Amino acid sequence: MLIKRISLIKPMILIFILIPVVTQAGQNQSMQELLIGLIPEQNIFRQMDRYRPLAAYLSEKTGLKVRLTILSKYGDIVERFKSRHLDGAFFGALTGTMAIIKLGVEPIARPVNQNGTSSVRSYIFVRADSKIDSVKDMNGKRAVFVDRATVTGYLFAAAFLRENGVNDIEKYFTEYFFTGSHDSAIYSVLDNRADIGSAQNTFFNVLVSKDPTIKRELRIIARSEEFPETTLCMRKNISPGIKNSLTNTLLNMDRDPAGRDILKKFGASKFIRAEIKDFNSVFNLAKRARVDIRTYEGDR
Amino acid sequence: MIYWKLHNNYPQTAEGKIENRDTKLRIQDKGIRYFLFLFFAFSIFTLFFPPPAYSIEKKTIGVIMTGDIPYYAKMHKAFSARLSREGYGDMEILLQKPYPDQISWSNAARKLIAVDVSIIVTYGAAAALAAIRETSNIPIVYAGVHNPAAVGIAGKNTTGAVSKAPTSSLLRYLKSVTNISILGVLYSEIEKDSVKQVDEIEDISRDMGFKILKINIRRPEDIRKIKGSGKPDALFLTCSASVNMAVDAILDIARTEKLPTASMLKGENNSGIIITLSANPEEQGEMAADKVIKILKGTHPVTISPTGGKNIELIFNLKENMSLGFKLPMDLVTEATKIIQ
Repeated sequence: MLIKRISLIKPMILIFILIPVVTQAGQNQSMQELLIGLIPEQNIFRQMDRYRPLAAYLSEKTGLKVRLTILSKYGDIVERFKSRHLDGAFFGALTGTMAIIKLGVEPIARPVNQNGTSSVRSYIFVRADSKIDSVKDMNGKRAVFVDRATVTGYLFAAAFLRENGVNDIEKYFTEYFFTGSHDSAIYSVLDNRADIGSAQNTFFNVLVSKDPTIKRELRIIARSEEFPETTLCMRKNISPGIKNSLTNTLLNMDRDPAGRDILKKFGASKFIRAEIKDFNSVFNLAKRARVDIRTYEGDR
Repeated sequence: MIYWKLHNNYPQTAEGKIENRDTKLRIQDKGIRYFLFLFFAFSIFTLFFPPPAYSIEKKTIGVIMTGDIPYYAKMHKAFSARLSREGYGDMEILLQKPYPDQISWSNAARKLIAVDVSIIVTYGAAAALAAIRETSNIPIVYAGVHNPAAVGIAGKNTTGAVSKAPTSSLLRYLKSVTNISILGVLYSEIEKDSVKQVDEIEDISRDMGFKILKINIRRPEDIRKIKGSGKPDALFLTCSASVNMAVDAILDIARTEKLPTASMLKGENNSGIIITLSANPEEQGEMAADKVIKILKGTHPVTISPTGGKNIELIFNLKENMSLGFKLPMDLVTEATKIIQ
């Protein structure tokens, strides 16, 4: 069994060299700072392009100096939240659930996509010309996942495979690997570097909308139930004033013309209030995958 | 021992003498006893010291490698190394390197048939098709064939390693380097595999919104057509041996004309091709060797399924790209399995 591990060194060097690790979004040095973490759910360059305007907007509207930092990988996100003294983070469904349980973070808001949904799904897909139609056909093939600490890029696939009789993916696939981002998992299957992939529907749809030929080249063979979109969660002991200011600014963005522009760039129509109960679907999936969130590390 | 026990159980007369019938049997059995002794001794010896499958009759493998392009050279090196590692290192390998034309391919196959090789190994579709045309008895193992079914490589004595990498993906990456209105596609009309690739690119071009300019390269001097046949925005090198033999000259033109290049065959470590999406040649060679070993051990080729390469490499030559004045989006660069800078 060969597990190809994608080197993280190269992307990490790129993070530090080619983009500012921290985006300053506010000019007034006397402002109170708020450090918000981003999980590397998509290509870091695209992700910074997406979040930078939002941070600037929040800084302007709240009077807080909102800084962004991309966490290098999903797996140890909970540890890094503590060690880097983050005030909050845009968590994915699984990392959010882990952070709620392990750190007591509080979900405050999540975006509504431009199609009106505020949830995501996992897709398991193959190349359109592949002969893989079922789990049985996947035996001995190469699989690509995003990260162990993602619902849409791993956990759903793990549960799906288990429910279809696959107890040990290490033995079932000749090779499997983690790309660290959803779009990279999609490209891996497109390029035939992997036979089966798992990624989030929103990133899949973004790539397809930019290049319709991608849709013809990939075939979705399984879709998950809905999970909450990337959610902004704040640390438990943050001041109520800051939390409320941030929440209100996000929830009212769609009523402000400047906010609407930022939302459009972000790929959302508005933000809605988020609650802990939104994550119930993740707890249920974890049970199906026989994963205990309390002890799950999510490290590769 | 068994014999004597049986013998002692023979019926005896009241005087304790063995009957005449048994005496005769014992005399006749002497020869059988001797034969059985030798048979058992040999069986036990071979049980502990089994001979290699080929040692009884040393076999020869014929290899047809079109031209002398780095992709096939790497494949052949890996093929030979795998055979050695698996204990078949002293097999005779007859290597033929025909020029990419029909007569040379046929002659190469005929030479190997004339010396009665046990298996013919071919790199590339054209060599495989030539071998199939010339013989129906000798097993043929191919490697580095983009799409065997599409070019008619099939038969009861044929198996091999498929090197298909998605053409559309390579085009997608190439389009990210520069806007393409006209794509120059370098192929050879006598190499079916590359002709099929041209057809595939033509289909994809309609979806991706560009036109293709087919440039047929049969001889090195044909590369002049790149300059003379319209103004392509980029060059796509198919898996044609003729094209890949002329890669250095093609790259000279690409540099002069500032044309980004893409190839389906991995070349030298820093060949100058900007984007390469290729099945790993070493893996192809090893897969071919594994199939050859199976055949040598007595498996019929018809029961050995062709297999596709699992190691697809995506190589970006950032150094060359920058020197031509192009930029590759960083979000795509991170997809590369290898970066040359």
